[in-house]
Amino acid sequence: MAPGGFFGRALLVDVTGREAVCAPYELDERVLRSYLGGVGLGTWLLHRLAPAGVDPLAPEAPLAFVFSSLVGTPLTTSAKFAVVAKSPLTGLLTDALASSQFAIAGKLTGHDALVIRGRADELSVLLIDGDGVRLEPAPELAGLTAAEAETAARARFGRNWRTAAIGPAGERLVRYATISHDGRHAGRGGLGATMGAKNIKAVLVRAATKVAVADQPGVLAAARDLRRRSFGPATAKYRELGTLANLLAFNAVSTLPTRNFTAATFEGAPRLAAEELHELRGVARNSCASCSIGCEHIYSRKGGGSQRMEYENVFALGPLCGVSDPDEVFAASARCDELGIDTISAGGTIAWAMECVERGLLDEPWLRFGDGAALLRALDAIGTRSPGLGDLLAQGSRRAAAVVGHGSIDFAPQVKGLELPGYEPRSLQTMALGLAVNARGADHNRSGAYEADLSGELDRLAGGSAHVAAAVETEDRAAVMDSMILCKFLRGVFDEPFTEWAALLALVTGWPVDAAELRETARRIVLAKRAFNLREGATAADDTLPARMLETPLELGSGRRAALDADRLRSMIAGYYAARGLDEEGRVVTAHPDLLLDV
Amino acid sequence: MGQPKAWLEWHGSTLLYRAAAILARTVDGPVVVVAAPGQELPPLPSNVSVVEDPVEGLGPMQGLAVGLAAVADRAETAFVCSTDMPFLHPAFVRRVLRALPEGTDVALPVARGFRQPLAAGYRTALAGLVRDLLAEGDLRPGMLFKHCEVAQLDDERLLADAELSRRDPELESVVNVNSPDDYAVARDRPEPEIVVECFGALARNGSHRPHTVRAATLGAAASAVGLTLSRHVVAALNGDQVTRDERLPLVAGDTVAFLSADAGG
Repeated sequence: MAPGGFFGRALLVDVTGREAVCAPYELDERVLRSYLGGVGLGTWLLHRLAPAGVDPLAPEAPLAFVFSSLVGTPLTTSAKFAVVAKSPLTGLLTDALASSQFAIAGKLTGHDALVIRGRADELSVLLIDGDGVRLEPAPELAGLTAAEAETAARARFGRNWRTAAIGPAGERLVRYATISHDGRHAGRGGLGATMGAKNIKAVLVRAATKVAVADQPGVLAAARDLRRRSFGPATAKYRELGTLANLLAFNAVSTLPTRNFTAATFEGAPRLAAEELHELRGVARNSCASCSIGCEHIYSRKGGGSQRMEYENVFALGPLCGVSDPDEVFAASARCDELGIDTISAGGTIAWAMECVERGLLDEPWLRFGDGAALLRALDAIGTRSPGLGDLLAQGSRRAAAVVGHGSIDFAPQVKGLELPGYEPRSLQTMALGLAVNARGADHNRSGAYEADLSGELDRLAGGSAHVAAAVETEDRAAVMDSMILCKFLRGVFDEPFTEWAALLALVTGWPVDAAELRETARRIVLAKRAFNLREGATAADDTLPARMLETPLELGSGRRAALDADRLRSMIAGYYAARGLDEEGRVVTAHPDLLLDV
Repeated sequence: MGQPKAWLEWHGSTLLYRAAAILARTVDGPVVVVAAPGQELPPLPSNVSVVEDPVEGLGPMQGLAVGLAAVADRAETAFVCSTDMPFLHPAFVRRVLRALPEGTDVALPVARGFRQPLAAGYRTALAGLVRDLLAEGDLRPGMLFKHCEVAQLDDERLLADAELSRRDPELESVVNVNSPDDYAVARDRPEPEIVVECFGALARNGSHRPHTVRAATLGAAASAVGLTLSRHVVAALNGDQVTRDERLPLVAGDTVAFLSADAGG
């Protein structure tokens, strides 16, 4: 019998040809307890199911939708799932989390994970419910946005299906295409291209069963308590202004990446700030499924319509590209949603291209920093993969820099191929380490090390051993939250996170888990991700930052200089390897005989 | 004075805390306090260390020798000041230290009509020379200056620095308190003017736009805008240091940004 909150099995679906073939895949309780679900369980599944060295866009590359024991419970923010695959952008493990009813319906098909392999003969939709799986040709969905495809699919198959779909960019294998559902996105790493490579436009799921938790009254009481705490000061920022509240604050502390990381303050920041927009625009709030925080802020656009805006899409399509007109940034963000591409990678790649134009390395004189129309034109070129620039930029900044050459890799804003999020590493040096060593690449969600930099407890301009410990701690916390799965925006409400998370997990699963076990679980998940990457050819050389970050100090608004040289970063990385029990080359060689649970 | 100068109250902390914290927020290197043998000191900022002077009664030259030696392995130059300078401004410290290029041993302000050896910049390598002079019975800083290269900084040269001229035009950085009256007068002066910005959920009714308050410490600035520094609320001083230290001293011209520590997204 499976533990509470779990079914104890995944569903493997092969979409090769014209029919889907499925098979159950048993998940031993030891695996579930050791990897929890979400990102952790997805990593374990990838180790088992992805052939070593597989091309991420090959039919045999698995695409896993992974749930967790908490999905479907009344615990706030738990309606989440992880999409896990080998990234078309990085060639390494990637995982993206998203929140929607898809999580609940997908799990209640009776599975802890859905793993898709193969390639359909024609553009199709995959339907999964209690009756099994079906592959339905859907050529009429070609070229539709994800939202349009969702609407069309539910019109065709019924409104009780929940949908995860790709936009035109996924169909065209843009390497940072997203998977979307209910207006949310599994955004990073190009999972939409993985789905597109399987000729699957949409996955539809329908709930067919229920799942019991170990202590229903206990879970209800915990849910009430967590919901109450979710209205406290730790989430005020998200409720009142949303993540866009970061923008003006980051500008004030010189950590707002601007014009492809050539500056950390942006003169146009006030125009894009949540504080200003809230005064000037109509704003609506929305929540993910099962969430009491309600961080989504949807702004009205001049000329009609509205757009959900987050810090990361505004940073990437605004300051990073030098664009300060909010309506141009809104339009660019909307275009990314329509095309189905990751705003961070899109903005980063275009900003890199703009700098290439400035330096005379790309002959596209129209593509200039600060030009919102040019930004939209570039996005369209990427989404349609127009020959030349569109095709080039659809590969992401690392591959594009390899084509352009002339040292342009030095200022390509990426780590392991994944474009940097909106946190300047030179002025956030704990974050610099987190970005360098993270398995997913330059990522702010799997390593929230910026928290330490902004805590007031460390000198954010002088990375050292204390910063290493902080980076390890935040990475561990993320590993557990992303596997249980709980929204990171809740993290501030937990005074003793590992203890409190263990208590929640015990109520749901019935496992007598404690904080020490969860800490070990976090470590296992982090190492399992690294082990996957090592298997796929990653080396210590991949744990670094772009040369620009290490060679060019940054002028702060205060007049001081923030410098992060290669020696300091190497020293922090060495400390990280030691703290993780890795060898000097970052390899997993410590006494973890059951790291991958050979069961 | 009724009590040691180091312990004199200064806007919720002490004169010594203020002097040490001003230096700590200004320089990149270490900050040390030289204590007399057995001297009990008030609490200090966490990034400030204490070295004990093994010999009592030899005056400021002995403290200078001990202090310079304590940081010599980590810094080539040092700013040296006494504990009783409540208006010391970071701009003054920066101006003095900039006057210590290669070949200069001491940057000596001659401000408000007096030489200021206890508000001056020194090469830390001078520690040995100072010790030798002390061994020979030379207890006055003037003897040291005869043996090394000194750059004198008069008022005009000091105020040629635009930042110092703007922030401390009267060179009150070198004012010290030597009597109860001095202290009372200094303590009664209004707190410095600080520019405050609040961001994100901390901003109310347009308060993210810069406005001015009077506050001698970060905690006072937070109170002035209705905030309390906490796990969720931090402050950035002049756009670089992020801190929750309520006792952090502020000076005229500082800009304090209050922001949410919950920065994710």
